[in-house]
Amino acid sequence: MTLHVTDAIVLHAFDYLETSRIFRLATRESGVVSVLARGARKSVKRFGSSLDLFVTGTAEIQQRPGRDLQTLSGFDLTYARSALAADLDRFVAASMLCELALRCTAGEAHAETFDALTNGLDGLTRVSGREAQVFGAQAAWQLVDSLGFAPSLDRCASCHRVLDRGDDALFSHRTGGAVCRDCEGVARGGRRLPAAARSAILGWLAGAESPMPDAGTLRSHARLLREFVEHHVSEGTELRAYTAWAARFERT
Amino acid sequence: MSAIDDLAGELAKLPGIGRKTALRLTYHLLKQPPERSRKLAHALEVLRDRVHPCGVCGNLTEDPECAICRDPRRDRTVICTVEEAADIGAIERAGEFRGLYHVLGGRISPLDGVGPEHLTVRELEARVSAGGVSEVIVATNPSVEGEATALYLQQSLVRLGVRVSRIARGLPVGGDLEYADGGTIAQALSARREMI
Ligand SMILES: [Zn+2]
Ligand SMILES: [Zn+2]
Repeated sequence: MTLHVTDAIVLHAFDYLETSRIFRLATRESGVVSVLARGARKSVKRFGSSLDLFVTGTAEIQQRPGRDLQTLSGFDLTYARSALAADLDRFVAASMLCELALRCTAGEAHAETFDALTNGLDGLTRVSGREAQVFGAQAAWQLVDSLGFAPSLDRCASCHRVLDRGDDALFSHRTGGAVCRDCEGVARGGRRLPAAARSAILGWLAGAESPMPDAGTLRSHARLLREFVEHHVSEGTELRAYTAWAARFERT
Repeated sequence: MSAIDDLAGELAKLPGIGRKTALRLTYHLLKQPPERSRKLAHALEVLRDRVHPCGVCGNLTEDPECAICRDPRRDRTVICTVEEAADIGAIERAGEFRGLYHVLGGRISPLDGVGPEHLTVRELEARVSAGGVSEVIVATNPSVEGEATALYLQQSLVRLGVRVSRIARGLPVGGDLEYADGGTIAQALSARREMI
């Protein structure tokens, strides 16, 4: 057994047996790790009083090689983000980001994903309502980017020719992004992406302040992002928080 | 599979019982008079046949309505909303609260696919709309999900013209209501704040 100390964000928490909890953590060094926190439901002595969803802290993990479930022996909170519960749009968007981090486990770029998630959750604490919905879309694309799945948007994903900024383009998940007219036949399936939506996603990926899209645009963004993410998660994986997040657009 | 393995396997599925303890319990029962095992089997059967949620508040009961809902001395103008029926026992042990309860059946958790529509929010709204209720105390767990659920309830209930309050943070954040001691719960209830 080795002791591993790492920065961690709590992505998911659920009760285990009478008094314990299992946490799924995004760690800076090792990606997503599942840990058992014995007695966490009953006593706050060992893990402090704020071991909860969305928090960042230093996790002490007792690691046994070859095990799926490791043991959490300590957690030192650095940032609680309880403000994420003070607005339902924030809360649902934060859940969606954590779900993406959980489901789209990619290569070794854990630090980038950890930072993208940190920025996303932190940013959400400062916005609410519609703004939180839009910020959620932006943060989700940045998270996807950090996982190494960023779509090609300014060049054709198939022949790499530069695309005109003002042109609508076909977006093909299979091909990995926008494709030029000549390649539309090769890229089977896809969705027509208006030039404005393409430049919005480009801006989001670059971390630019985004203009507030109308409800219809936001809905099509949510659909596009969902198709893109579903293409990168293992088959049959349910995106529950994502569904809850996208459903909120239908009401606005 | 042998009868011994069968029972030990079932017992091991219970919380807090490992494979070894399950086997020990199984052998213990075999050493006891047969009557002991029959009584246990009967009690388990009766439990599932008789116990069900109260038709009014969702508390567990053997009657159409639970003892708290039937008690004429309880204050019918205040409803305390909890996540699970087990939380009612914890609050009752504190002895501070004299009103009625409402069991939500969980908390909003997008990651687990639990939305407001999976909880008994509509039933709570119906109870409030029926009249006679002046205050709803939200006693969901002091966690992010519990707080978000409280916020949702507050937004749904204020429209009905009822006062909505939240139990105070005397409770340890991250701990479960079910395991809080009576003194802590009593203090949290008396220092509850209105949700605005
Ligand atoms: Zn092309
Ligand atoms: Zn009842």
